[in-house]
Amino acid sequence: MHLKRPLLGVLAAVVLLGALYVVYLDRLVTHQFQGRRWTLPAQVYAAPLELYAGLALSPSELERELQRLHYQRAERADHPGTYHLAGERVDLQLRAARFADETRPASLLSITMGAGGLQALRDAAGHDVPVLRLEPLLIGSIFPIHGEDRIIVTPQEVPPLLPAALKAVEDRKFDTHHGVDPLAMLRAAWVNLRAHQIEQGGSTLTQQLVRSYFLNSSQTLSRKLREAVMAMALDAHFSKADLMNAYINEIFLGQDGTRAIHGFGLASQFYFGKPLGELDLSEVALLVAIVRGPSYYDPRRHPERVRLRRDLVLKQMADQGIISAPQASAAAQRPLGVSSRPAGAYYPAYLDFVRRTLRRDYHDEDLTQAGLRIFTSLEPRAQDDAERSLEHELERLDRVHKTAGARLEGAVVVTAPQSGDVIAIVGGRDVGYDGFNRALDARRSMGSLVKPFIYLTALESGRYNAATVVQDAPVDVKLVNGTHWRPENFTHQLYGPVPVVRALSESLNLATVGVGLNVGVGKVAQTLQRFGLSTPPAQVPALLLGAVDVTPIEAAQLFNGLANGGFRNPLRAVRAVISQDGKTVKAFPLQVSELASPAVVYQVDRMLVHVMDHGTGRPARALLPPDLVVAGKSGTSSDYRDSWFAGFSGSEVAVVWVGYDNDQPTGFTGSAGALPVWAHLMASLGTTSWNAPMPESLAEVQIEYLTGLRVVPGCAEDIVAVAVPAGTELPAKPGCGFPLVQTPTNEPVNSLINNAQKWLHSLTH
Amino acid sequence: MMSAMQRFASSVLMTAALLSGCVMPAPPPGQAIGSVRPAPPIPAQPPSAPPAPPATPAPRQFQLGAASRALVGQAHAQAKSGDFGQASATIERALRIEPENPLLWIELGRMRLGAADAEAADGMGRKALALGTGDPSAQAGAWRLIADSLQARGRDAEAAEAARNAAGLAPH
Repeated sequence: MHLKRPLLGVLAAVVLLGALYVVYLDRLVTHQFQGRRWTLPAQVYAAPLELYAGLALSPSELERELQRLHYQRAERADHPGTYHLAGERVDLQLRAARFADETRPASLLSITMGAGGLQALRDAAGHDVPVLRLEPLLIGSIFPIHGEDRIIVTPQEVPPLLPAALKAVEDRKFDTHHGVDPLAMLRAAWVNLRAHQIEQGGSTLTQQLVRSYFLNSSQTLSRKLREAVMAMALDAHFSKADLMNAYINEIFLGQDGTRAIHGFGLASQFYFGKPLGELDLSEVALLVAIVRGPSYYDPRRHPERVRLRRDLVLKQMADQGIISAPQASAAAQRPLGVSSRPAGAYYPAYLDFVRRTLRRDYHDEDLTQAGLRIFTSLEPRAQDDAERSLEHELERLDRVHKTAGARLEGAVVVTAPQSGDVIAIVGGRDVGYDGFNRALDARRSMGSLVKPFIYLTALESGRYNAATVVQDAPVDVKLVNGTHWRPENFTHQLYGPVPVVRALSESLNLATVGVGLNVGVGKVAQTLQRFGLSTPPAQVPALLLGAVDVTPIEAAQLFNGLANGGFRNPLRAVRAVISQDGKTVKAFPLQVSELASPAVVYQVDRMLVHVMDHGTGRPARALLPPDLVVAGKSGTSSDYRDSWFAGFSGSEVAVVWVGYDNDQPTGFTGSAGALPVWAHLMASLGTTSWNAPMPESLAEVQIEYLTGLRVVPGCAEDIVAVAVPAGTELPAKPGCGFPLVQTPTNEPVNSLINNAQKWLHSLTH
Repeated sequence: MMSAMQRFASSVLMTAALLSGCVMPAPPPGQAIGSVRPAPPIPAQPPSAPPAPPATPAPRQFQLGAASRALVGQAHAQAKSGDFGQASATIERALRIEPENPLLWIELGRMRLGAADAEAADGMGRKALALGTGDPSAQAGAWRLIADSLQARGRDAEAAEAARNAAGLAPH
């Protein structure tokens, strides 16, 4: 008696404490679960493909676009996400889609294809549809570092087979137990004891949910107890349907680098590239198979192991009467169907640019937690073409120019000239690697890419035009530090008097430096800044040979201004940010402003066209369609460290850089390294010709390429058409059939020489 | 720089040469001019009579394609309900289909004016003007947009001049 009382007291205290702990856990679980809000990483979408009559798209290209969105070819297009080909007609069951500006329900579309592309679009009622977008491709999400990524699904978006399969495989008594299943736990313990390892889980779905949601994964007895209490608390307070939905959105189903794939909504995209609602039986069974161990049962790494488990899941489903035995065996015949690349579309370099754009306006938490939807300008087709062109050509270059111990690298940026939309970014040859993004961060010497801006500055001065004869002669500039700067031509030759169009086409260093010194290094620097160079360049004579570091994306901004006829658009990757409830949080509207006289830019652009048929761009001709008009400029930095090509058609600007990360010489020029990538890309893009209208203040004249003399067709060997200000009198080639006008005396020239001498004197002393 | 006197002299000389039809001997190509480094340019002659006839650009008349027409209609409806942001986004869709159509740039500029962003509208007007080369009616529309944009910013004199440019191209 004397002894028993304290014992009872202790017992009572333990029970009381235990009860208090249970109450505490109960409160904790209820409170947290009720106010549960998954952190929702922002989802990033590509530009949707606009379909309209007249769109130049072949049936196979259309099919590729549909497959990119994981539309299934079917006998009948009878449910969303399927299409049917019937001769010239494509029947398409569009999925419901949310765009930046509207939500569209699932609907039927019939497309009539013809020789030139899409001929007509009709809706289910047979009415003409003038224009319609495919849904935008999900290209990724912005998740916290080492963080959870997920796509939330509502119960309506979940195929009924999924909860049924989960119950059949993981928790048969889910509908009736109170959060824990003691019998299952005992059974599992017995099996595990006999096998001396963990073979059976025994945890209910509710326990798994608790573990994932509240606890870490340590395997202690106290944690097991805590888990059981919390599971019972959850079960007491919430409906089974609620718990199932939470489970489907919560559970861990795979790892993609630093990104943790949570929930079946994202897992469906991650493994199959399509919405959860469109999964068939074998695909549902596969995801359920993964639940047991996403790393052990990684279908991309261990397909055979996963296949066995999937078939076991199917068998258990049949055993439970959820599906019939023939259904199970038919599904077991299906291949795994997992896409080869995670998410089917993963563009880390582009996502990186999107992230940086948004970090100016948003905190990390907004991007990684608030469920924003971000609509971008990325065009998957152009992105794929850019990736393939770079990979393909770098492999070839590696074979041709073997450099011990180093691997060639490269970067590509593609923009739409009129809008400044960035439609593709490749940050390196490992296109799926989310690492050093050369397109944004490799600051490399721009080399001869600077030359168009020197001639643009010269044309703006009013003293030069495309036919103006300049001297390609030795240059010797005494620098402030007393040393002499004596640049050389690439070929180490002197070309003497050459017209501007030739100096630019063949990238003659000495002629260009002469012009640049004449118009002023400071003026050239101003032009570069006006066109989008982010930091003021050092105003040294070597700037005229491109001694200024730019990133590929900066080079794209500079050339976009040329391609856009002297108008500036800030390069744009993000078009709109939409909140979880569909409101536009931020729009990035198209902007355009004039930054140079369209007439001056037109004259430069016309000369850049000649780069492609007479100059350093000529090797591209073999790869491009014969009638395609493109313009561009090569760039090679000193000692061949950087190989650049920047150029444009009517519909795309593309900048390519090729070099070594450690800055060692590549041994090839812009024409040999970057140009083939560029040409390959332009050829595969199906781009349109550069066809800007000539401003009314200009006139087109024919000149002899080598001399700049005005000619009529047929009276010289090599004739090029250039644009000059209307009324410009050009010296004519003797005997060319029109009254000749000649520079009458050398006097004005001499006075110019004197001026230039004075200016040079002021520069160097 | 060439002085005015020299310029005058050279144009007289050239005119005389043209009128007389005589052919002056050309210096051999490749002749070096002085030995100064770097060499200065040999400037092209400034405009002088008679000027070479400018290549007149082929007259054009821009129209909207069916897809753009539908989208512009949708944008007008959005603008009517006061949602100029959505209206702009809709015009941008059309511009992705026809990026070089000046009529769409004018439409976009009008939406920006509606959203009280007159400066942006000016850029759209200038862009339309450049793209509309050879189409007086498109260019008149561009000038009218520029005029309205200038007026909205209180630059009345420039606005009046822009309006005159518009009227000169396509009299009402």
